[in-house]
Amino acid sequence: MSRRALKAVLVDLSGTLHIEDAAVPGAQDALARLRRAPVSVKFVTNTTKECKRYLLERLQKLNFDIEERELFTSLTAARNLLEQRKVRPLLLVEDSALEDFAGIETADPNAVVIGLAPDHFDYQTLNKAFRLILGGAPLIAIHKARYYKRTDGLALGPGPFVTGLEYATDCQAAVVGKPEKTFFLEALRDLNCFPEEAIMIGDDARDDIGGAQKTGMLGILVKTGKYRAGDEGKIDPQPYLTCENFPQAVDHILQNLISQEVI
Amino acid sequence: MADHNWTACVTSLKGVILDMCGVLYDSGEGGGVPIPGSVEAVKRLKESDLQLRFCTNETQATREKFVAKLQRLGFELSVSEVFSPAPAVVASLRQRQLRPHLLVHDDVLPEFSSVDKTNPNCVVIGDAADKFSYQNLNDAFRVLIGLEKPVLFSMGRGRYYKETDGLKLDVGVYMKALEYACDVEAEVIGKPAPMFFQSVLTDMGIQPHEALMIGDDLVNDVGGAQHAGMKGLQVRTGKYRPSDERHPTVTADGYVDNLAAAVDAILKHRA
Repeated sequence: MSRRALKAVLVDLSGTLHIEDAAVPGAQDALARLRRAPVSVKFVTNTTKECKRYLLERLQKLNFDIEERELFTSLTAARNLLEQRKVRPLLLVEDSALEDFAGIETADPNAVVIGLAPDHFDYQTLNKAFRLILGGAPLIAIHKARYYKRTDGLALGPGPFVTGLEYATDCQAAVVGKPEKTFFLEALRDLNCFPEEAIMIGDDARDDIGGAQKTGMLGILVKTGKYRAGDEGKIDPQPYLTCENFPQAVDHILQNLISQEVI
Repeated sequence: MADHNWTACVTSLKGVILDMCGVLYDSGEGGGVPIPGSVEAVKRLKESDLQLRFCTNETQATREKFVAKLQRLGFELSVSEVFSPAPAVVASLRQRQLRPHLLVHDDVLPEFSSVDKTNPNCVVIGDAADKFSYQNLNDAFRVLIGLEKPVLFSMGRGRYYKETDGLKLDVGVYMKALEYACDVEAEVIGKPAPMFFQSVLTDMGIQPHEALMIGDDLVNDVGGAQHAGMKGLQVRTGKYRPSDERHPTVTADGYVDNLAAAVDAILKHRA
């Protein structure tokens, strides 16, 4: 294999390490095993309804050993873009996510940011967003996930609403989260490693695995969370590997992708 | 020359299909006003040996209410002669033994009263306006994603329309949202879908080449009808714009000033 030695493992959160307030069985131990190997670990998520602080608290409550600097979210990526473009957003994100936008001017909006905001996705609010975009405001999508899993079943993600607004206004949204190439590259930036030296573990075939593999990383699809039978066939090339769950993915990495002498 | 050529088809004609808004009447306050000569033109067509049907994309009212409005404007027509997306969807549902989950405007619900909606195995969306909430869209999504082969019917595919208080998102936006969420392609029912025109032809028991569509919407009325194998005539009323006569992809078989002029020419060439 012409790949370089593995230096970094990117791990999705919701659906991979945990499903809402329950950890995937064995995931904490698996993460601890992974940390003993000579690789960097980073957690990358499109979970846009929660700010970083909330995500960390939840993970720590579930006994995951994770630090803030290891967490890279699509909200951070969106904020970076707003600051770069110097625009005032209409923020269609849940109140719980607003903390990550603290200090950004939002009066008299000239941009639209769409996250996962079931409370804001009503007809009136979408019309308001639509009129702004038709008037020239850029449409920024935190990500375009089709749906996500809640305890009461699957629920629509931001993607369908972004797609609808794109159709209505004949424009293209700027997407900042997974599966965008820039998102994965940003996540790796402070790790000093190339995509060819990294692997992504996630439950979303298109957004986690397809996106990561397009940047040159390997991808391991886990059959937890939003995974549905046959998902691995929905992307081309198919995932490097499909595993039952996160612990199996970690075992595969430890046994096959890391030189045995160093463990 | 095109204006005269279309009359060559008139002798073999067995039926005429009329668009409604912009051909029969102009919408406006109090239900709108008839376009001059149209009331009389409909009457003359009815007295001829041609079959006559009406075709609209209206999905915010039942046909009964819509027809009552036109009758108040002086038109002679009955519900059974009017084709709108909702009854066409109902016919498709029956034919394919599908039970719908409905995401439609409350005022069009009575059209679906006879349809079995238990244990749904498809979704029908229309211009539901304020009913397009996250919850309602999510309910429709869950029905679709739970099906082995998701079937989505959309009554039209418009992007937006204008109301007195501003622009409003139309059904096409929510159709696109569900298409994206479930990786399906919606079956659009209503103009310009060929199946919609075909249902009108089937009702008349005639072939496409024996029918003429008259409308003010070049793409949806004229182009749609031509795509279904019919002749299409554009009237210079309603949403007609002079630039329509130089459209890059759709050329009408003929252009006439209004419905009255079209009916004059048809009846003269059949005499």
